[in-house]
Amino acid sequence: MAVAIGNKSFRNVWSKAIPYLLILPVVVYYALFWVRPVLKTVFESFRDTAGQFTLQNYAMVFSDPDFIPAVRNTAIIVVFSVTLEFLAALFLAILINRKFVGSSFFLFVAMVPMALPAVAVGAMWLTGLTAHGWLNSLLFYLGVSKKIYWLAGSEWALLAIIIIIDAWQVIPSVMIILLAGLQNIPVEAEEAGYVFGGNFITVLRKITIPMLQSTIQTAVILRLISAIQIWLIMVLLMGFNRLPVLVERIVYYHEEVPGLDISFQMASGYTIIVSVIVSIAALLYLKVSGAFGGNQEARQ
Amino acid sequence: MATLTMQDVTKQFGRKVIAVKEFNLEVQDQEFLVLLGPSGCGKTTAMRMVAGLEEVTNGRILIGDRDVTDLPPRNRNVSMIFQNYAVWPHMTVFDNIGFALKLKKMPKDEIEKTVKEVAGMTNIDMLLERYPSQLSGGQQQRVAVARAIAVYPEIFLMDEPLSNLDAKLRVSMRTELKAIHDKTEATTVFVTHDQSEAMSMADRIVIMKDGEVIQVGSPDDVYHRSASIFVADFIGTPPTNFLEVDVKSENGDYRLVNPHVDFKPESHISESLRDYDKKNLILGIRPENIVLTNQKDAVLSAECLVSEPQGSHQVVAIQLDQQYIKVIASAQPKINPGETVHLAFKQDTLRLFDPETTLAIGD
Amino acid sequence: MIKKKPTSLAKIIKSTIFYLFVTTLGVGILLPAFFLVSLSFLSTREAYQFPLPLLPALSAKYSLTFGDRGYLLSVYDDFDDEYQTVLDTAELEKMSVYMRSQIGAPYDIPDIEDRIAELESGTDPVYFKARKNLLLNYDLFFKVTRDAVPALIRSLQIAGMTIVISLSIGGMAGYAFARYVFIGRDALKFSVLFVRMFPGVAIALPMVIILANMGFYDQPIGLSLVYSVGSIALTVWITASIFMGIPESLEEAAQVFGATKFQAFLKITFPLALPGLAAAAMYAFLGAWNETVSAIILTQFNPTFAVVVYQTLLGAVGHVNLAAAGGLAMAIPSVIFTFFIRRYINQMWGGVTV
Ligand SMILES: Nc1ncnc2c1ncn2[C@@H]1O[C@H](COP(=O)(O)OP(=O)(O)OP(=O)(O)O)[C@@H](O)[C@H]1O
Ligand SMILES: [Mg+2]
Repeated sequence: MAVAIGNKSFRNVWSKAIPYLLILPVVVYYALFWVRPVLKTVFESFRDTAGQFTLQNYAMVFSDPDFIPAVRNTAIIVVFSVTLEFLAALFLAILINRKFVGSSFFLFVAMVPMALPAVAVGAMWLTGLTAHGWLNSLLFYLGVSKKIYWLAGSEWALLAIIIIIDAWQVIPSVMIILLAGLQNIPVEAEEAGYVFGGNFITVLRKITIPMLQSTIQTAVILRLISAIQIWLIMVLLMGFNRLPVLVERIVYYHEEVPGLDISFQMASGYTIIVSVIVSIAALLYLKVSGAFGGNQEARQ
Repeated sequence: MATLTMQDVTKQFGRKVIAVKEFNLEVQDQEFLVLLGPSGCGKTTAMRMVAGLEEVTNGRILIGDRDVTDLPPRNRNVSMIFQNYAVWPHMTVFDNIGFALKLKKMPKDEIEKTVKEVAGMTNIDMLLERYPSQLSGGQQQRVAVARAIAVYPEIFLMDEPLSNLDAKLRVSMRTELKAIHDKTEATTVFVTHDQSEAMSMADRIVIMKDGEVIQVGSPDDVYHRSASIFVADFIGTPPTNFLEVDVKSENGDYRLVNPHVDFKPESHISESLRDYDKKNLILGIRPENIVLTNQKDAVLSAECLVSEPQGSHQVVAIQLDQQYIKVIASAQPKINPGETVHLAFKQDTLRLFDPETTLAIGD
Repeated sequence: MIKKKPTSLAKIIKSTIFYLFVTTLGVGILLPAFFLVSLSFLSTREAYQFPLPLLPALSAKYSLTFGDRGYLLSVYDDFDDEYQTVLDTAELEKMSVYMRSQIGAPYDIPDIEDRIAELESGTDPVYFKARKNLLLNYDLFFKVTRDAVPALIRSLQIAGMTIVISLSIGGMAGYAFARYVFIGRDALKFSVLFVRMFPGVAIALPMVIILANMGFYDQPIGLSLVYSVGSIALTVWITASIFMGIPESLEEAAQVFGATKFQAFLKITFPLALPGLAAAAMYAFLGAWNETVSAIILTQFNPTFAVVVYQTLLGAVGHVNLAAAGGLAMAIPSVIFTFFIRRYINQMWGGVTV
């Protein structure tokens, strides 16, 4: 309805452009340092060693005897570790949010695993899980003199160990996100729940968790993305090939089989497949949890 | 010191929401003008456009004879008290008040002098070293006031500055703000949706509804000469009573008739009834303008439904069909529910509204 | 005087149980880390005992007697409560080296000669004590490991640059997402997250050539560019919620009182967001400091500290204690960083208390 006159329309355009200008650096940065390597990988994954277009790489990935086990192992780890980590982190966050004397120190204690570098964690568990390691020593002091051969167990035992070890390190970062979210919930909301006759569990289920929904989404999505990409701790503890998972395959083909010409192509193929799987999983989660649409708007 | 003029100012958010619509207003130099209206009627938006925090979709804003429509806030020489105070939590009271002066590169000793002076005016001179989190709500509000005075603005904008205070503090702050206005003589626009605040403070009141100006006038004007049903209903507690009446002419005289009342209004009203013969009108009468009388003089007789004693007076409610009529009567004698009351209207206070336009007739 | 209601017994019991529980939980969380710390102070001999000692010994008790090949050196074993023979040699040099590197309780050759003199003069066996050098592993790690110190400095540089890059670039975008409503906002915010879905290792491989072309291969700046990819995404999300937690009216007030938009940000929003930004910096720091794999791929002669530790770990098959010391040396900066930033954590995902 307003007739825009020269100067004003310029100001209008300018103020509309500000958010885009603020985002521009990220876009440029990603164009330079993300899109390029990704495109290159995509490109490589469709090329043979002579540089011709081929689907051979994917065929090889799918016929890799370790492919199916890798997908299966990854799926198991993701399902169990995300669930376990989320529940444990929620529990810890609620505990720390009670603001007891010393809760700030306890927060620090709970954050220590997060601060430890992967290699340090690798060293820690490697020395713990060997037959003469500290875990068996601890059991010995507690009266169990039979040595347990932790890393010699079945695949299922190894998966369980990996899930627990991973949880130990990752729970803090999930917890922190949830804790911050919890602190944003006004005390009155929960108190009202109690006043109107709720007990701890109903207040948690009907008030706290629904109000925490977008925080939970953020925490779980970040965790989901990185859980699918787990590999380093496994290689540190068990070496390659013992318990194949998806990203381990990428590194394996790139780092450990350099003699083969096709290793880089195999690695690229695996990379693309992993990214597709991660993206689908993430989108699926976001869809199911209702992050698109209504809720997100309601937050603003 | 300056006048503030808004010409045809319109603000549209997105495609659908028109928050302020062709707003025209002239605020006199040194005037204390109150914007009054129900929640969501566009008061804050109007004020933010004056401050430059919101771009206008159309129209012009002038301070004095400067066109400030396209100036950024800092060049308008206005200051503002925000609805939620917006005192900066990481600065001491002193720094909060001195912020604008520092930006103006005022010398240090002068800043200190000014800050002390306005802090004295607002009674917070002992709190200068504290942070906002160490202050009570009322004290934070004073900081917001002091910060706004310190710049000696041409236009002083206040967005519901008292709405977060308790009832008692609110009343005393009213007096203080008025006193400060008298001292600084800054042209002031004060936003509120509390009508008693508006009535007690304003030189003139602007009544807004759905982004539009409905009436501009002195507190007496809007109260006694409400321009529309909306204003008559919005201003006053309890609000104006409304009765649907038919106009009937009887040998040159006009009567107002409905199943409960049938009377001949005084001559000054009769004049305006000429155009409404045989038509339908809305009669508005304020509760304090209905008086208890004897059966003979009564215009209206009905049973008392409830009576609420208020100390100095009582509010008597009667029911006519689906409608309640409220009457303010003196505290004695006490009227009990079920008792029949005989009522008469103070004729000179009657307002008549056209049901189609909802506007008052006869002005 | 305010009279307090006496605390009821039930309450005392309840809070005791609560604290017992919290303490147990804390101990459980720290237990693995505790063993890592303890291990890093153990001598090589201690590290290969079973069961492992819970704490390193502060001194070693030696006994010396005649042996088949010269002199028989024994060390007292706390757990078995007896002396165990560890060495039978006539070479004092060898004996001293063994005492220093394996037992971790050094004893100089002249002193050994004195003890032997005692043995020869009839005291058999000769008992003596030596203080343990607890920092031996750390000492060794930094001396033996190829350029551990320059690698440490490089890692700090990389972490620093990553923080700067991701906070400036990511922070700007976070501010836009928090303060402006614009077309494509939600889609853009999610696509920022999408970047993290492509495995980090897989970015590193093609980056070798890209960085080489830019002259950044095997340079700290090259690695921080790669690390920033992941941490910008996280920073955008974190800072967006920080800025959302700071009322916009504070900024507007500054504008009314004479500040430009930029001044208002700098003087009001930025200081208020600082604690939260510090926490975002922690994530960037931890990400860059702890990352190993891309660093292996993208460095050659200038490895990062994580790479050095990783290689020690691979090479230290016979020296778990050395690897533990390396791992801990690496963990210390990040634990300290975490300790100081912990108190700001509350503000990270929004909710600046005003
Ligand atoms: N940024 C915005 N985007 C879209 N609509 C808006 C925006 N700001 C205000 N509005 C709408 O404009 C109308 C006027 O809002 P405004 O804040 O001016 O009301 P108000 O009179 O100050 O109300 P209150 O007394 O509750 O403070 C409302 O309907 C509101 O929903
Ligand atoms: Mg408002």
